[in-house]
Amino acid sequence: MQHKNRLRPFFENITFEREDNELILNFGPQHPSSHGQLRLMLHLQQEQIVKAHPDVGYLHRGMEKMAENMIYNEFLPTTDRMDYIASSSNNYGFALAVEKLIGLEVPRRAKVIRMMLLEVNRLMSHLFWLATTALDVGAMTVFLYGFREREYLMDLLEDYCGARLTHSAIRIGGVPLDLPDNFIADLKKFLDKLPANIKDYEDLLDTNRIWQMRMEDVGVISKEMALSWGCTGPMLRASGVKWDIRKEEPYELYDEVEFDIPWSDKGDNYARYKLYMAEMRESAKILYQVLDMYKDTSPELMAHAPKYISAPKIDIMTQNYSLMQHFVLVTQGMRPPVGEVYVPTAPSFWHTGVLTDLLPGHYIPDVVSIIGTTNIVFGEVDR
Amino acid sequence: MRPYTPKDNVQKKSYYTDRYWVAPQVAKFDVSTDEVFAADLKVIKGKFKVLDAYIQVEQMVVYIRPEDNFGVLKLMRDSLEYTQLSEMSAIDWLADKGQFEIFYQLLSMNKRKRIRIKCFIEENQAIESVEKIFRSADWAEREMYDMFGVKVNNHPFMKRILMPYDWEGYPLRKTYPMQGDEFASWYEVDKIFGKEARDVIGPEIRDAAAVDRYDTKRFARLGHEVAYGEDISEGEPDTVQTYQEEGGVFLVGKLTKEESVVITDRDR
Amino acid sequence: MAQHQVNYTQNGGLPVALTSIDKLVNWGRSNSLWALTYGLACCGIEMMASGASRYDFDRFGTIFRASPRQADIMIVAGTLTKKHAEFIRRLYDQMTEPKWVISMGSCANTGGMFNTYATVQGVDRIVPVDIYLPGCAPRPETLQYAVMMLQKKIRAEKADKSQKPKRLM
Repeated sequence: MQHKNRLRPFFENITFEREDNELILNFGPQHPSSHGQLRLMLHLQQEQIVKAHPDVGYLHRGMEKMAENMIYNEFLPTTDRMDYIASSSNNYGFALAVEKLIGLEVPRRAKVIRMMLLEVNRLMSHLFWLATTALDVGAMTVFLYGFREREYLMDLLEDYCGARLTHSAIRIGGVPLDLPDNFIADLKKFLDKLPANIKDYEDLLDTNRIWQMRMEDVGVISKEMALSWGCTGPMLRASGVKWDIRKEEPYELYDEVEFDIPWSDKGDNYARYKLYMAEMRESAKILYQVLDMYKDTSPELMAHAPKYISAPKIDIMTQNYSLMQHFVLVTQGMRPPVGEVYVPTAPSFWHTGVLTDLLPGHYIPDVVSIIGTTNIVFGEVDR
Repeated sequence: MRPYTPKDNVQKKSYYTDRYWVAPQVAKFDVSTDEVFAADLKVIKGKFKVLDAYIQVEQMVVYIRPEDNFGVLKLMRDSLEYTQLSEMSAIDWLADKGQFEIFYQLLSMNKRKRIRIKCFIEENQAIESVEKIFRSADWAEREMYDMFGVKVNNHPFMKRILMPYDWEGYPLRKTYPMQGDEFASWYEVDKIFGKEARDVIGPEIRDAAAVDRYDTKRFARLGHEVAYGEDISEGEPDTVQTYQEEGGVFLVGKLTKEESVVITDRDR
Repeated sequence: MAQHQVNYTQNGGLPVALTSIDKLVNWGRSNSLWALTYGLACCGIEMMASGASRYDFDRFGTIFRASPRQADIMIVAGTLTKKHAEFIRRLYDQMTEPKWVISMGSCANTGGMFNTYATVQGVDRIVPVDIYLPGCAPRPETLQYAVMMLQKKIRAEKADKSQKPKRLM
């Protein structure tokens, strides 16, 4: 039966053309270059934006409410779906919070594997960022190259945990698996090729006239704006604040590895692009060091804390008490001490908010490149 | 996911049914154990009334009066170098105390310290906006209003941010059911097709494991394809699944396994 | 003035095939399925991966289009939320007939793991779906297989009839 649907134009309450010659342009929520489901309402004077109003929430799935109704370990796979481009990083953020609450010390091998996963995820995320942003700006070749390299990294993670995109590869108290046989050799092989690949992208983009015109001096975020909006990561470092949480509040083994913090005081799209490229090189540097660390670690993967973490499988199979504890932990969940902990995560929400202040004064084509370089992921904005 | 139980009075009644369970607490330390925090707290105490202060998991928590929030945060930014508001929101304690707890998570990059400013407000009490001090509070306060229904005074654009503008209810309150109320469950149907289409489309199936084997209107199975709405209580025909029809397809070449090349090395 | 020396139809220059209109039309339809880029969440990333270098969707004639008016299939890749629901219907209505819908991933099929107030419990409440694709997130190979199945389904359809009103609407 043919049912008539009742959809009326959504903007009946917005006057599109007004007497002061301001046009309201609706961008999204299903715009191919809005990197997800961002809706922007732009007030335009000719082609110039005078007021921007980002509307988010099109991917709000109620994760906080889900978390309220779950035990700690159950929520872990849901964190994958927040920043789905680098999902292990989210697993890690959640696991770290719970570990801090319990006061758990993770074995060294788990730390090494976690760092590998985090950096591989960073590379994946940056490659994806590069590919999609370049595609939005019009560089199709870089899109294909970026995805080519990203697929190899996804293969690596698939070898490790079996999933391509949503890994759940970091657990509360450690990591579930040891590295597979060829992992280190394969990763080394990839890392050896990476500098040449990054150089390829840079050769294609760095001095490309179109890329420069759309990136240089576009989307300048001042230091004050970046701080006030709570920006983090490359968004902050591109605006002249030399703050990298890996150096300032080191977690895992980041205080044992050598790496530099790339930063810039320009604050424009181009600076952010250069930062991402530099960060990929730094990531490779970290990964080389972490790969060397792996050899000298003892094989424990999960922390020993019978109250919170299930015993190793061999104990569960052989020892009665471990089995009982395992049952309790699976059915009732762990009961960490009551308290509060704050672990910095989910920056994209603020990075989307910046657009309110950032876009006015720019022109319509700049919108796409600015959204691109803010690197927002909507699973994380809307949760 | 485990079955959902309403958690209206979750704060009053322990979630754990174990009668003898005494929940351990994360250790709280006195502020004097950390010089930087002690100095900060002294400055705050000089100007505003501090109800409680302690250090938990390396971060200082300061309880203030709700009417002081703007002043305290301005002091924190201008005098104490806490330049970033990393997060702010509310916690629902309505069942327990009839109050919301508002927290502001601040970061000082020069001191490498994080501080949490907290205050309690009544259910219908509004709080002053800090958007003038930290721009990030603009969105955070909208989210707080959207999720908890906490109103914020002097905010430039106090509207819902994550849920649609015409949404009813505040999802993160403990009394809001996880799977939505009556309004939520018919929201998209009402909006797109109208209330009269409710009967045609039917209620939401919330049990993810619910599969009616004989329902040919909703489920299709590979290998047993039948027409829409057909009665298959007597069994259904097997349909062999090949991605191409036997004998090939008009103008499309068919590759056999022998002809194709299988790549084993992924050439990293 | 140059003259064509080759008589294409007689000298074997142009292949001549005798067939039914059905087959011809379906051949065209099934081998140029232009997809609407409808990446909503995680599955959207896998959809992009299938369009990118390794999985290369172009060889199926599946080219991603940004406009619903140029698209034949809508691959709903990801969680559909209640706030977004009206837009998917609007875009579906804007697509020209014949049109097909692939629901990619558990969230789009049934709401998946997001059994909450904000998630539409299956896009089939909003638009009629032809192929349900399980997985969270499905691999690009799975999406390719789904497109092959859809091609097969299209080839079995009658071309002279306008599309039957599908389920739901």
